[in-house]
Amino acid sequence: MKLLLAEDEKDLSRALSAVLTHTGYEVDAAFDGVEALEFLEKNDYDAIVMDIMMPRMDGIEALKRIRENGDFTPVLLLTAKAEIDDRVTGLDAGADDYLTKPFAIKELIARVKSMTRRHDSYAPKSLKVGSVTLDTERQEVTSENSISLALKETKLLEFFMLNAEKELSTERIFDHVWKNDDSADAEVVYMYVSFLRSKLQSINADLEIAGERNGSYTLKKL
Amino acid sequence: MNEESIYGEYKENLQKILDNIVGRINDYTNEEYERSGRKLHEHLIARVKSDESMREKCVRRGIDQTPYSALHELTDSIGIRIVCSFIDDVYENVRLIKSFPNLEIVLEKDYIKHAKPNGYRSYHMIIKVKAPFEDVCGNTPGEYFVEIQLRTIAMDSWASLEHKMKYKKHIANSDLIVAELKRCADELAACDVSMQTIRNLIMNDN
Repeated sequence: MKLLLAEDEKDLSRALSAVLTHTGYEVDAAFDGVEALEFLEKNDYDAIVMDIMMPRMDGIEALKRIRENGDFTPVLLLTAKAEIDDRVTGLDAGADDYLTKPFAIKELIARVKSMTRRHDSYAPKSLKVGSVTLDTERQEVTSENSISLALKETKLLEFFMLNAEKELSTERIFDHVWKNDDSADAEVVYMYVSFLRSKLQSINADLEIAGERNGSYTLKKL
Repeated sequence: MNEESIYGEYKENLQKILDNIVGRINDYTNEEYERSGRKLHEHLIARVKSDESMREKCVRRGIDQTPYSALHELTDSIGIRIVCSFIDDVYENVRLIKSFPNLEIVLEKDYIKHAKPNGYRSYHMIIKVKAPFEDVCGNTPGEYFVEIQLRTIAMDSWASLEHKMKYKKHIANSDLIVAELKRCADELAACDVSMQTIRNLIMNDN
């Protein structure tokens, strides 16, 4: 399990990293919101633990950007303020849980465990963009007709639908969909985009995937 | 027992017309194969509907068992099924058949683009051809209906299984079986579309 820890207090960060690593997590430490986003662009995490009060970009703003990118990685917010407004803002911005400082490290670990355990149930099972519905569990896409999808096609279409009308680079797509596949080559992205294009056409979808081979692709409404 | 055919004196014309159309389909298929090595169809089934089936169909429709019913009210006395490897081949056959002289399209249904709710996919055409024989309305040259179904191997294998199911009226879990059959149709369609895409990728790369 891989965690991203975003905490600007160096001592606390070091202590949390040590305990979490000892518990069996692989931990990357960022010291502000901007750095956290940079880590997220390059890597994929099972959960994120993030302080709200940080320099350069605070935790709430970073969280909003994460969710805007279609990233549903569970997020636990750490807050020094015990004010209700602060917690509500955090949860509204897409946080899954929060913990008020000072906290017991045992509780932090228990909450992270609980969050990662439930991650699968957070991901939406059904997505709709335009006339197109994707059922990620049945691996099936429906518009006028329906057609089955392969596992990677489902993941790729899910990523496109969560980021409809946004430009996604071949690298970004490859990192997201083929992240655990060492044998894959980025060339596979174009092939799977081609598969999805044909399948969307075959169900008379009102969506198209615009973009050139090895460039950026955008899921657009026709 | 009625020895006379439901097609009456027109019966022998039907086989001749069928042979003529199949001949023309084989001609363009051979031409394309020699030109590019591409096989426009895998196999083809051609038949004149048997007397028995035609009579049965008239009974089912509540119409008289006459040559007029069989050749003018109903349109499937002459039937051809063309089974192709790829989806694009289906459309290429449709295009070439439409270019035949002395042919009129009566009805065209694209159940590939617009699959039936049960998952059935196929391309259906009813055409009317002019032939140098009298027809049941007394015209010479006469006009005869021909039904043509075009589909891929995958669509064909699904349709033949689904057809077998129809004879077993009271099967347990029939709703579930219908839903699962539709899922199979969608999976086979997925393979058809993927294989067509792979073929296009190979052709574009070379």
